[in-house]
Amino acid sequence: MKYFLSIFLTLAMALVAPARATIDDALSFALEAADPYVKEGFTVREDYWGGDLPVKQAKAIVHQLFKGNEYWFWMGTDTANAKISVHIYDADGNLAEDESFQKPHKAAAHIRPKKTGTYYLIVEIEKSPEERTYWSLAYGFR
Amino acid sequence: MKKCALFVLTAGICSVVHAQVPQHIDVAGFASGKPGSQMIDSVVVPVPSEIFSVLDKQGKPAWSEVLRPVKDVAVTGSKEQISLVLGTVIAEGFVAVEAQNPEEVKNIGRAVLKLSQAIGVQKAVVRRSNAIIEAADKSNWSSVRHELDGALADVKNAMNEMRNQDLAQLVSLGGWLRGTQALTAVVEAHYSADGAELLHQPALLDYFKRRLDAMPAKTKSVGLVKRIREGLNEISPIMGSDTAEVSEKTVKQVDSVATELIKVINQKQNSNE
Repeated sequence: MKYFLSIFLTLAMALVAPARATIDDALSFALEAADPYVKEGFTVREDYWGGDLPVKQAKAIVHQLFKGNEYWFWMGTDTANAKISVHIYDADGNLAEDESFQKPHKAAAHIRPKKTGTYYLIVEIEKSPEERTYWSLAYGFR
Repeated sequence: MKKCALFVLTAGICSVVHAQVPQHIDVAGFASGKPGSQMIDSVVVPVPSEIFSVLDKQGKPAWSEVLRPVKDVAVTGSKEQISLVLGTVIAEGFVAVEAQNPEEVKNIGRAVLKLSQAIGVQKAVVRRSNAIIEAADKSNWSSVRHELDGALADVKNAMNEMRNQDLAQLVSLGGWLRGTQALTAVVEAHYSADGAELLHQPALLDYFKRRLDAMPAKTKSVGLVKRIREGLNEISPIMGSDTAEVSEKTVKQVDSVATELIKVINQKQNSNE
């Protein structure tokens, strides 16, 4: 019984581990994108979001932002040739970011909130050779 | 001429890229999960320093007056209570950093370890706790902030791995409540509309309320958890509005609820009554 249980656990770990590893790889690209901004005084949070998405399926993340701070959101993927994006909208659904960029393996958006409240981060895999693409999103503030 | 053409071309490309980004989205569509859109059902709870950094830009709050000593931290009571206390203690760490009080930061580092031990997640926190104490010794405040944030994340991850997501939520909630209490204390001392606006936190209130509602009946029946649910319902109409201006009276109301909840959380032997 113990033998079968250990085989089952090993198989389960083998299935779960690659997903974790890929999200962590995606996070390393997001943090790479953050690096220049850390030098500019941005504090990067230890918390982050991650998952996998099919092409053209957008995902919304609700976030509380405070007027008086500025924020950068950095998204990463380890899938080569994927095109990813992140954009920031206010509670009414209006585009609220000051700037954004897309680079290989990375995308980012920057905002100086005009008011304190709820904002929506929309992440999307615009193009990818994979059926589902792993992504990760980190953020920093100053 | 070449430069001019390059500028026009660059500007053209930039505007094309900008034009491709939708200027408006249907937020309700995401919430209802219409095809092609999904909403993530989790919110990253801001660390208190996210709010404190705004207050610092608005003036020079007397952080030492906001700081509450942590020397007599309660390690008794239910796991729910200890998780809530742990959250408040980590949040206190951010206040101690603002107050630049190394002794209190070190007390907090030790208290974090003690509380983590009581709920079985000390292994995840030992390194952070030592790093907090070490950085406080060197008055390296940005490093203390980083380690406190890391301790919060490590505790929550360890709890999630142990399938104790509810306790992880309570750590976040405790931290948020103490952060809110510190915010109201600063704004009450020197009221400004800009400072009070920081209390507009509808997404967080909604998130915590939903999480508490989703907890098992056994957890919800814990007297402390019950009182926190009531408290969140009391402040929800005030902090949950995205439009109304937060008056001085409102700040006082939120402060009174947050202070009472923090007091209840820290009451010794606050177990399953």
